[in-house]
Amino acid sequence: MKDVMAIIRQNMVNKTKRALAEANISSFTATGSVLGRGKGLVDSKVLAAASDGSPEAIEQLSKGPRLYPKRLLTIVVPDDKVSIVVDAIIKVNKTGNPGDGKIFVLPITEAVRVRTGEDGDAVLD
Amino acid sequence: MILIRAIVRPEKSDSVLASLLDAGFPAVTKIPVVGRGKQRGIKVGEVTYDEIPKELLILVVPDKDKEFVKRIVMEAARTGEKGAFGDGKIFVSPVDEVYTISSGVREE
Repeated sequence: MKDVMAIIRQNMVNKTKRALAEANISSFTATGSVLGRGKGLVDSKVLAAASDGSPEAIEQLSKGPRLYPKRLLTIVVPDDKVSIVVDAIIKVNKTGNPGDGKIFVLPITEAVRVRTGEDGDAVLD
Repeated sequence: MILIRAIVRPEKSDSVLASLLDAGFPAVTKIPVVGRGKQRGIKVGEVTYDEIPKELLILVVPDKDKEFVKRIVMEAARTGEKGAFGDGKIFVSPVDEVYTISSGVREE
């Protein structure tokens, strides 16, 4: 089984939830607000403020990329469903602009259902 | 690619982020967390604090940069010359696939 970690825009969570539900992926974990920065290509607001002469914005620009609030979704699925999840997330979240987010797929060695103690792919339904 | 989770002191995370930026690793995700370690929290007088605030930094970097990034994080997160209890931990896990959503492409 795999852990799909998706870091996405905050306003895309509901759409992503709906898309995953439509793809029959019912379970996931959402972490509240996380902060992130990427390659530093997203600075349109800071740029605009800096060109208006705001000293804070100019200071921020000189520091390099700043941290933006994002949401982190964690979805654990069997190996064969990874591509379904990844495609669904990309389809909904893609605006084509920097800052859309990243998806990381990590291996998971074991999953256990706390209620019954059973393990294996069966607990992921 | 490998995923590095670094749990560091909240007051040190800014200097870790700055060092990473200088070293050419701008991309990072930061999450406030609480936790305890081997010392079972901090005991102040009669009171034990076993949920100490930390910050979790998540980075995904190419395999070859693992040792370099680990060293940068460690040097920036350490307190004083020798370090102190509570400076944090670094965990490294493998990553199978990485996708950039804006372009939809799989990164190598």
